[in-house]
Amino acid sequence: MALTQNGNRLPPRPGEAIDRSHAVSFTYNGRGIRAFAGDTVASALYASGVTILSRSFKYHRPRGLLCAAGRCPNCLVTVDGVPNVRACTTPVREGMAVRSQNAWPSVDTDALNVIDKFDFAMPVGFYYKTFHQPKLMWHIAQPIIRRLGGLGAVDITADPESHYHHDNRHADVAVAGGGPAGLSAAIAAASAGAKVVLVDDQPSLGGHLRFDPSRHADVPGLKAGKGPELAAQLTEAVRASSRIQVIAGTVFGVYQDNLVAVLTRDSVIKLRAKRLIVATGSNEVPHVFENNDLPGVMLSTAAVRLAYLYGVKPGRKAVVACGDDYGYRAALALQGAGVKIAAVVDARGGFPASMSEAQALRDSGVRVLNGYVVIRAEGPKHLSAVSLCHLREGVPLTEELRLDCDLLATSGAFEPAAGLLHQSGGRFAFDEALGEMLPSDLPRGVLVTGEVTGIRDLRANILQGRVAGLDAASSFHVLSYEVRQDLARLRHDLAEALAAYRAHTTRSSPIADMPGKKRFVCFCEDVTVKDVAQAVDEGFADIQSLKRYSTVTMGPCQGKMCHRSFVHLCAAKTGQSVQKTGSTTLRPPLAPVPLGALAGHLHTPIKRTPVDKRSRDMGARMTDLGPWRRAHVFSNPEEEALAIRQRVGIIDVTSLGKLDVRGKDCGALLDKVYTNKMSDLQAGRIRYGLMCADSGTILDDGTVSRLALDHFFVTTTTGNVEAIEEWVRWWTAGTNMCAHVNNVTAAYAAINLAGPKARDTLRKLTDMDISADSFKYMRFGQGHVAGVPAILLRIGFVGETGWEIHFPAEYGEHVWDALLNAGEEFGIIPCGLEAQRILRLEKKHIIVNQDTDSVTTPLEADMEWAVKFDKEDFVGRGGIRAVKERGIRNKVVGFVMRDGLVPEDGDPVVMGGSPIGRVTSSRFSPALRKGVGIAYVPADYAEEGRELLISINGRTEPATVTLKPFYDPEGERLRA
Amino acid sequence: MAFLIPCPNCGERGVTEFRFGGEVNPRPAPSASSDEWTSYFYRRGNTSGLQTEWWYHRYGCRKWFLAKRDTTTNQVTETRWP
Ligand code: FES
Ligand SMILES: [Zn+2]
Repeated sequence: MALTQNGNRLPPRPGEAIDRSHAVSFTYNGRGIRAFAGDTVASALYASGVTILSRSFKYHRPRGLLCAAGRCPNCLVTVDGVPNVRACTTPVREGMAVRSQNAWPSVDTDALNVIDKFDFAMPVGFYYKTFHQPKLMWHIAQPIIRRLGGLGAVDITADPESHYHHDNRHADVAVAGGGPAGLSAAIAAASAGAKVVLVDDQPSLGGHLRFDPSRHADVPGLKAGKGPELAAQLTEAVRASSRIQVIAGTVFGVYQDNLVAVLTRDSVIKLRAKRLIVATGSNEVPHVFENNDLPGVMLSTAAVRLAYLYGVKPGRKAVVACGDDYGYRAALALQGAGVKIAAVVDARGGFPASMSEAQALRDSGVRVLNGYVVIRAEGPKHLSAVSLCHLREGVPLTEELRLDCDLLATSGAFEPAAGLLHQSGGRFAFDEALGEMLPSDLPRGVLVTGEVTGIRDLRANILQGRVAGLDAASSFHVLSYEVRQDLARLRHDLAEALAAYRAHTTRSSPIADMPGKKRFVCFCEDVTVKDVAQAVDEGFADIQSLKRYSTVTMGPCQGKMCHRSFVHLCAAKTGQSVQKTGSTTLRPPLAPVPLGALAGHLHTPIKRTPVDKRSRDMGARMTDLGPWRRAHVFSNPEEEALAIRQRVGIIDVTSLGKLDVRGKDCGALLDKVYTNKMSDLQAGRIRYGLMCADSGTILDDGTVSRLALDHFFVTTTTGNVEAIEEWVRWWTAGTNMCAHVNNVTAAYAAINLAGPKARDTLRKLTDMDISADSFKYMRFGQGHVAGVPAILLRIGFVGETGWEIHFPAEYGEHVWDALLNAGEEFGIIPCGLEAQRILRLEKKHIIVNQDTDSVTTPLEADMEWAVKFDKEDFVGRGGIRAVKERGIRNKVVGFVMRDGLVPEDGDPVVMGGSPIGRVTSSRFSPALRKGVGIAYVPADYAEEGRELLISINGRTEPATVTLKPFYDPEGERLRA
Repeated sequence: MAFLIPCPNCGERGVTEFRFGGEVNPRPAPSASSDEWTSYFYRRGNTSGLQTEWWYHRYGCRKWFLAKRDTTTNQVTETRWP
């Protein structure tokens, strides 16, 4: 019997979460639904008579609201294209489009429900057993299974950009959970001076108090009232405290040293706290009986939530099934909301006469059946009746009783929501009296309070919260005398409250064996009691392997609904105690976290040079070089290279790393970290520098310019500067050397001006003496270029007369434009990275990490000239010496292709059909009109004129080894 | 990894602010034998338990320091300047 459109809303009641003056409408599978602000998608649907929200994973059975608290798999829907959204915790928004998923053609009539009739074909672990033989079977079955399996569908056309940001917060005390215990803990900790962050995942604070209609008179520190009134008092106190910050979000992980991961609507917050108070409460979990998944069967808290938070009538006529006192309270609450109570069915034999709610119910004429349990829910798509069975000494008898109803609220089975404690390394012990696994041993810095400790008593929970809050604060604050007095009194009251609670609490233990089929343990993966029993029979008796084989606790609820029954069932089946059976491990994330939230925004900033825009405006195609964007090509790389060889060109080399090294010991420091000698460099001169690790492998290269006795300017390869800075600093650590390294990469723009007409161009922009005689190769000068103060390094990476001009980055475009204007009459053009690569290759200059790898030493790189063994010590000396003694196996050589061919970077060098080396760089040389390159080959090939065979696209092509630069081998042009 | 490291300069900070620099590995004298150098390059104690190691406060004061860390629990018990 489905509920109808009308009459599902209850009259307004104080404390409800909805705002009836504010209508909201949205669509569900295209149909218009009217709701109120404050409704969730599920409450609005339920109010509109939609009781089937999804179809189950395996058998496609109809499923409806179960927990109404975001803990189960039953209400997963697709909202505005985002799959697997929980309808019961998603607030309604005007115009949102909600669709059901995992059903065809609709959730009401899902054709795949026929699978339910063929359950015998899908035993537990069927995916390990079926479709394997014959082999062909899998090919037929796989596409069908793919269609049937899975939950929801990802919209692959959606914007891949993450809309979540990341945030860091710090707190003295983090409180997870905004129920009575959590709120009390936060208030107490703040009152003792702690800075508190409280995280709660519900639309408003107060936890279960928000929908608890009973009146509480004996709660210390609070005025007597109904649940919502107490929630309001606590919330008010939290809001009034300037030391408490409230985050609306879900704690999904706890990591070392109390790093608490919180997911909010639009962010992931990394919250670091000195103390974490876990006040996550408990989860009500389903009872296990035949058809326990039928829509209309729900947790008692879900029914009460619907009525009291959303003003939705959960059913007309209800049976409440319980195993402890809580069920009577729930029944009374439902009765108060206008639901007719057909019966309260209590598995315990005796009537709890001391309980006022139980008395009140009986006095109002409600039938109370003690010693009964529900064994079956009946109805095709919605509950129409339940069948009961009498228990004798905990064992079900066969005699049955049948009651008509459209709501079965199951109660009395709770499990502490202890996932965060599991993650932080807490241990648990089975409490026989309370029948639950409770936290017994907590890690450093973690406290626990409230129902998660297995105590479900408001007075005790609030006392627990206060004690935990003060305990947390006292661990890093000295409490005042008054507060300490207070704490002692609270402890005393709490001990009494706990003793009293334990004295009067009786709970029925879960019923081990009942007749009937389709008794679901796991709603997410459609696993029944029979499946679990069979898996144990097949040998999976250990809870961890049983979990993996049966997949129980592995679905969207992550054990929140099934873990308790699973453990008890396994214990009963194997004959072990619950303590011995243990529990499955709950790992992060505790709640589903979108991948986009973990990704956050792109945190690697792209670096652009000061002439980036100018370059792009001039038509440059850009490329990535380490973290930098570099102009790759302006017009045509070979023409650009020729322009520099024949006329003049400029290249933006701002991305070069730049270090400023100062101090009286900086010569000694550079002697240490470079293989060549730097301390004897004269001021005004430049030297090439090669840097190695201690094992001798090449780390970096660049130029070292001595500006003054105690001041060097060092360049590094693009993208390597941070690592080199850290490396050089490390060699100063603990040495008392007076040498200071600063990374000035972004402070300076750098433009390489090169070509036979470079001097003519530069002369127009500076009054420095730049004649060949006075400004020689490997010297630098300081002066003005186009009015801008600059350092000019006369070096020749590209092999022509030229200057690397370093100047304040702010003037990037100005100097760039000035150089282009000045060179116009000489035919200057801007050149890109590709032209630079061609030019350097013609000069056979290596690029570290392109032509070398992580085991190349200067000996293999044919750069022994840069290693000064006569220095007493330098980093790499021992390693290079050892390699020298041992002899090298491979060497870097240049090669020229015989024919006009150009190999690709990485093509193999072969001999007799097997690879013996590889091409590390290769380009067509416009100056030589031939393919040239650098290769890494066996050392005996390093002989001028020796033939190499290079495999290009599978064809072996000849090349000739060259040890000198291909172009201008003597460097005359460079020095001109 | 989420543990805290007390930087001698900046105080307690999350591990993601730091770069790990490896266990302390004393460097042989330049005149040491090839064997000593080889063991310095390639042999590590790889201690299970308390180990002294280098850390660099990359996103903080940019200083190198020494830390004593329990490699089984990631607890840093002491930090100091080299
Ligand atoms: S009904 Fe929404 S998650 Fe359980
Ligand atoms: Zn620091």
